Amino acid sequence: MTDNSRAQNAPKLDPNVPHSARVWNYWLGGKDHYPADRMVGDQVMAMFPDITRLARADRAFLGRAVRYLAGEAGIRQFLDVGTGLPTANNTHEVAQAMAPESRIVYVDNDPLVLVHARALLTSTPEGACDYIDADLRDTGKILTQAAKTLDFSRPVALMMLGIVGQIPDSDHPESVIGQLLSVMASGSYLALSDGVNTSETFTEAVQHYNENSANTYHPRSPEQLTGFFDGLELVEPGVVELGRWRSEATVFPDAGEVPGMGGVGRKP
Amino acid sequence: MISDREERGEPVHAFTRAFSSGTLVGVPSGPTVPRIALGTQLRRLREASNLTTAQAAETIRATHSKISRLERGRTAARPRDVADLLSLYGVTDEAEREKLLALTRSASTPGWWQQYSDILPRWLELYIGLEKGASVIRTYEVQFVHGLMQTEDYARAVILISKANASAEEVERRVSLRMQRQQLLTQPSAPDLWAVLDEAALCRSPDGPDVMRAQLRHMLLLTDLPNVTLQIVPFDVGSHAAAGGPFTILRFPEPDLPDVVYLEQLNSAVYIDQPDDVTDYMTVMDRLCIQAATGAASKDKLSGLLRQI
Repeated sequence: MTDNSRAQNAPKLDPNVPHSARVWNYWLGGKDHYPADRMVGDQVMAMFPDITRLARADRAFLGRAVRYLAGEAGIRQFLDVGTGLPTANNTHEVAQAMAPESRIVYVDNDPLVLVHARALLTSTPEGACDYIDADLRDTGKILTQAAKTLDFSRPVALMMLGIVGQIPDSDHPESVIGQLLSVMASGSYLALSDGVNTSETFTEAVQHYNENSANTYHPRSPEQLTGFFDGLELVEPGVVELGRWRSEATVFPDAGEVPGMGGVGRKP
Repeated sequence: MISDREERGEPVHAFTRAFSSGTLVGVPSGPTVPRIALGTQLRRLREASNLTTAQAAETIRATHSKISRLERGRTAARPRDVADLLSLYGVTDEAEREKLLALTRSASTPGWWQQYSDILPRWLELYIGLEKGASVIRTYEVQFVHGLMQTEDYARAVILISKANASAEEVERRVSLRMQRQQLLTQPSAPDLWAVLDEAALCRSPDGPDVMRAQLRHMLLLTDLPNVTLQIVPFDVGSHAAAGGPFTILRFPEPDLPDVVYLEQLNSAVYIDQPDDVTDYMTVMDRLCIQAATGAASKDKLSGLLRQI
């Protein structure tokens, strides 16, 4: 690297253009967002007030899915694609609370997410965390680098939470998932969640978001979401509304369904 | 000044309410963050019940200005008063009441640093109280290693630079205060320390090569802690995001407390919690972290420097 290349090649951070990770952090009640993110976040909230419940339901699904995987399924290796900005109950925290030796690889392509992840998503001394700067479509790079931390001859849980919506059908999300799973051992798992197009107001709000931010989002039908699990054995209760997947006793009253679904499938 | 802003209907934030735009009027010593957090919640609950400060004052047999001081976090509250206020505000859930009463108790426990009141100016005492309540401490330093990462000898040398005329006893008390502050990093539920340091600070020892070698070794050890990250801004980055001087951003675990920016000056400090201003500093800090070497590369850099001096 020559003297000035680092400065010139430094990835850009543009606080004036809303970015999915920061807007999502805003809806989750985090503190890592800029005025432009809050503006589009508020606009979407005005069109679809349940967006904050959807974000929180997705986060809660992540917690339950990881607890199932680290607990009942005995998984000790996680490949978390589309990490997002750190918030409460991140994948490694949930997994390592149950099994401190768990090894987690976080993948994201946003420079801001990566610096926050490296600083704040740090492992227990018994386990390991690593961070890969890659687009989720670049499966070759993801797998090569993840192999430094994960042993692919043993089961791995592939976590894809709220991320397949970030790639359009033309980029074939099903083949991205297929390529990542293809190198994984029998007994590996896919945990996947995303928004679905079952709510008209949600779909309209997403369209507004897409016209005003750096990233676009593509909620799919429940059937398409279930299709991502083709070839896998679905864990009960299947691909369902986020709050219904192995819901745990809660003191909060059921505030109704959100247009988001998730499931966990096992590679035979 | 603050009440003017409130009268104009402009938003006033928790910390500004507590310490009047950094002028620190009437800020008592002791645990700062629990007090401000409690005050903020009491105010939210009172407003949700559509009660005035005068109505709340009646319940606890006090003046409305006492309620106002409580809500601003300027005075510690008695558990019995808080219990009465919670009943008035209709908070009946036992778990919720206990959470706020626990906050009340921790807000009235004296801070360990109060034994140093003879050498501790108010502007710094407030910082130590805030630092203790933080969940993430992000710093950018240019000339010196951050106080939480200094060895005893390095700290003594830095203190002597600014306090050349202080007695030996005073210098030692200042060193001991700084060392005690560092226990924060290894206690249960320790905050994350995320430090960005200009390479220049590593090339300029305050007291010769031995002190610097020990300081570099100490930083290598500290960065083995899962809650400590050090990112060095190498010389080859050229001109970078931080056009100004050093600054610190404190984040608190309480959802309704905003981040606070701390700017230390020679013999005073500025505290910023207005969202637009905080955002400017957060943008600079985020850009710096993206431009700086990663934590892993920075450790290599420390090891390299250690071999050179």
